[in-house]
Amino acid sequence: MKRYALSGICIAVGFCAGLALLSVAHGADSDSQSAYQALDRFGQAFAVVRARYVEAPDERLMVENALNGMITSLDPHSSYFDPKTYADMQVKTEGQYGGLGLVIAADNGTIKIVAPMDDTPASKAGIKAGDIILAVDGKGLQGLNLDKVQELLRGAAGTKVTLTIMRGPDDKSFEVKLERAAIEVEAVKSHREGDVGYIRIPAFNEHTSEGLEAAVRSLKKQIGPKLKGYIVDLRDDGGGVLDQAIAVSDDFLDSGEIVSTRGRSPQDTERWDAKPGDIAEGKPVIVLINGGTASASEIVAGALRDHKRAITLGITSFGKGSVQTIIPLNGGEDVALHLTTARYYTPSGGSIQATGIAPDIAVAQGDEASDLPKVEEPSEADLPHHLMAEDNGTRSTVAPIRPPAGSKIADFQLSYALDVMNGKIKADSFVRIAHAN
Amino acid sequence: MKRFALVGVSVAAGFTGAAMLFATAQGANDPSAYRQLNLFEDAFERVRVNYVRPVDDNQLVSAAIQGMVSSLDPHSSYMDAKAFADMQIQTSGQFAGLGIEVTMEDGLVKVISPIDDTPAAKAGIKTGDFIAAVDGTPIQGMALDDAIAKMRGTEGTKVTITVLRTGTKKPFDVTLTRAIVQVDNVKFHRDGDVGYIRLPSFNEQTDAGLEHAVRELKHQIGPGLKGYVLDLRNNPGGLLDQAVEVSDDFLNAGEIVSTRGRHPDDSSRYDAKPGDVTDGKPVIVLVNGGTASAAEIVAGALQDEKRATVVGMTSFGKGSVQTIIPLGQNGGALRLTTARYYTPSGHSIQALGITPDVAVAQGDEDTTPKIERPTEADLPGHLNGESGPKKQPAQIIHAAPGKKYDDFQLSYALDLLRGKTTVSSIAKPTDTN
Repeated sequence: MKRYALSGICIAVGFCAGLALLSVAHGADSDSQSAYQALDRFGQAFAVVRARYVEAPDERLMVENALNGMITSLDPHSSYFDPKTYADMQVKTEGQYGGLGLVIAADNGTIKIVAPMDDTPASKAGIKAGDIILAVDGKGLQGLNLDKVQELLRGAAGTKVTLTIMRGPDDKSFEVKLERAAIEVEAVKSHREGDVGYIRIPAFNEHTSEGLEAAVRSLKKQIGPKLKGYIVDLRDDGGGVLDQAIAVSDDFLDSGEIVSTRGRSPQDTERWDAKPGDIAEGKPVIVLINGGTASASEIVAGALRDHKRAITLGITSFGKGSVQTIIPLNGGEDVALHLTTARYYTPSGGSIQATGIAPDIAVAQGDEASDLPKVEEPSEADLPHHLMAEDNGTRSTVAPIRPPAGSKIADFQLSYALDVMNGKIKADSFVRIAHAN
Repeated sequence: MKRFALVGVSVAAGFTGAAMLFATAQGANDPSAYRQLNLFEDAFERVRVNYVRPVDDNQLVSAAIQGMVSSLDPHSSYMDAKAFADMQIQTSGQFAGLGIEVTMEDGLVKVISPIDDTPAAKAGIKTGDFIAAVDGTPIQGMALDDAIAKMRGTEGTKVTITVLRTGTKKPFDVTLTRAIVQVDNVKFHRDGDVGYIRLPSFNEQTDAGLEHAVRELKHQIGPGLKGYVLDLRNNPGGLLDQAVEVSDDFLNAGEIVSTRGRHPDDSSRYDAKPGDVTDGKPVIVLVNGGTASAAEIVAGALQDEKRATVVGMTSFGKGSVQTIIPLGQNGGALRLTTARYYTPSGHSIQALGITPDVAVAQGDEDTTPKIERPTEADLPGHLNGESGPKKQPAQIIHAAPGKKYDDFQLSYALDLLRGKTTVSSIAKPTDTN
């Protein structure tokens, strides 16, 4: 079972049970009676539109729009996936696709290469930013939109494709033959900052915990025994696959609960515990968070904070504590619901829904609006129809530490975290203030 | 059968048939519809069982119907039981209430103006007053619609409102007796020897209001009456029936309008009966970009039958008919586009509008020969017109520079009726497209 905390969960095992449940709804009890009457009303509306709308309507589109209306009325994260969205989502959560590694844009009716991605077939073949793609496998791209061109470029790893490229001041065109490869999207990145290992997790896809483990191995090798600790950067990480948030938390924890989910149906209620083993060998960890830290990344921040395995630094996170499950419809053909089925809880039992994770050390980046201490970016509590927090939780209102006026530091939060890690700033004094809410 | 052209049509007789159609849609002879309904049923069940908190079946289905219907075009929508009841009040053109136009400000209801001759006006309620409570219930935190619902009620019943007034230190209570309040009344006055009649919309009282206005004007002006100006500017439409009757008032014979849909119930033709309430006197119809739907039917019929000269700017271009189709007991109703309508000359005005015979700009538009307001052709998802793009008149008349008019279009119309040379205006060539 795959689980996502932001983009959805679980190509739902056990969902052939759906039809059985359906027949229950047609039974005699009053709840089912209400469901039956409601369905009947929909059937009537559907029939009336078919019979009387001024033009013959497309029935498939009618039902798609109905599903869209029904699901989006629930909360901001539930949605209906038509075949195209469903397919795109699968590419996104797998974290890779077969392709060339090109970032492209439509430019005056032509398809222009914005940049080739590092270490991909495109960059190896010497394709350059600014090149224009005239044709794919001899087929001209005239009149095709960006999505269609993207489709032509993608395909299984190992398959071959020929691009006709136009380049440079003399507009010469030439052909390049490329072999598609697996392209990683939003991979984990790392580098050393002196004796501190910096790890950036931009999203949680199926390769994230692998990427983290590789990053830690590589940093240990680069820095050696004087390694002071790690900074895990979860800022603007919108989340992703729940499984991966659990695996990433487990990488730093030896035991104890990581997260639990509670929904109405038993398969949506679950608890995950850490297994022994800490890849960072107990070295200090600082987790960077901000208003763009949501969902799966809040699980990691919450778990490491509650177990006192890490200090969280930055500003209060987004506050998306709900879990979405991807439920294929119609026997899994090509459409699905992306439905909120559970809330998740940090080990201390708090739901972060609409309240977010308050940082241990509140540090503003300095480029936000000047009226802090509010959280600047849109947070869950600002979204229409958001699920309410359960425990009347309130968002943290601690005034964050701000960069001094005229500061030229490009990333104040990171530089502050490094100072804490390097002992230049004593963390404890700030922890006390930050919790006073 | 009642018909609306803008706000919708027909509390549809003969629609007990809906359940039957549903059965048909599920029949084996229509596998596609059956499959689509199954898909919906499947999704509905999964939401009921798996959503993070229990959901209301009726709300789910209402949202689904709204999603399905509102994506058809900008005028189709679903009304739940409450919205359906509100709509009936609006199209009846009357309700029992206090007679104040209100808005929401700072969480309180603010009086825009008391309507003449209503309980509110008689009790001295003033423009700018705030209403803080109704029958002791505070307004703070209430939606405007809910506050209005609290003030409305049965004719003859009493209601106490708590009023805050600038300059008065303490809020005070006023007790009023609800009375029938007419909304969007037909207004009229004499302008010398010309009768001016303004129709703000088409509700159930409109035709009666027009006939009353014509009688009064004849009486006031007497035999010297030169003609009528029928002002349909910013009239967004309303009941189709009323548009037909208003047109008929001026016409002796011939077609007024016809509607064509896919379903036989939705195709009909309306003809004028003998009798012209204005005894054949000249009529000028004023239109602008806010003239839509039922109002365009009147303008189109009187223009095509050469009964009136249409003056002003090209109208909105809403040539579709909505039918109100109730869905069972307390099931609300669909407001569904079921037909297009056609003027007597056979033109659909959908997305095209009515082009005035004499194009006259109001004067606050003189730098832009285009129509300033959003028109049907600008609405996303609008139905296409059937006969080419919207026409702009070749020439638009503007007020001469430096001249100030309260209402240049009306002044121009009055001059036309009186046969004056319109020296006060100049013709300017504009872009044709």
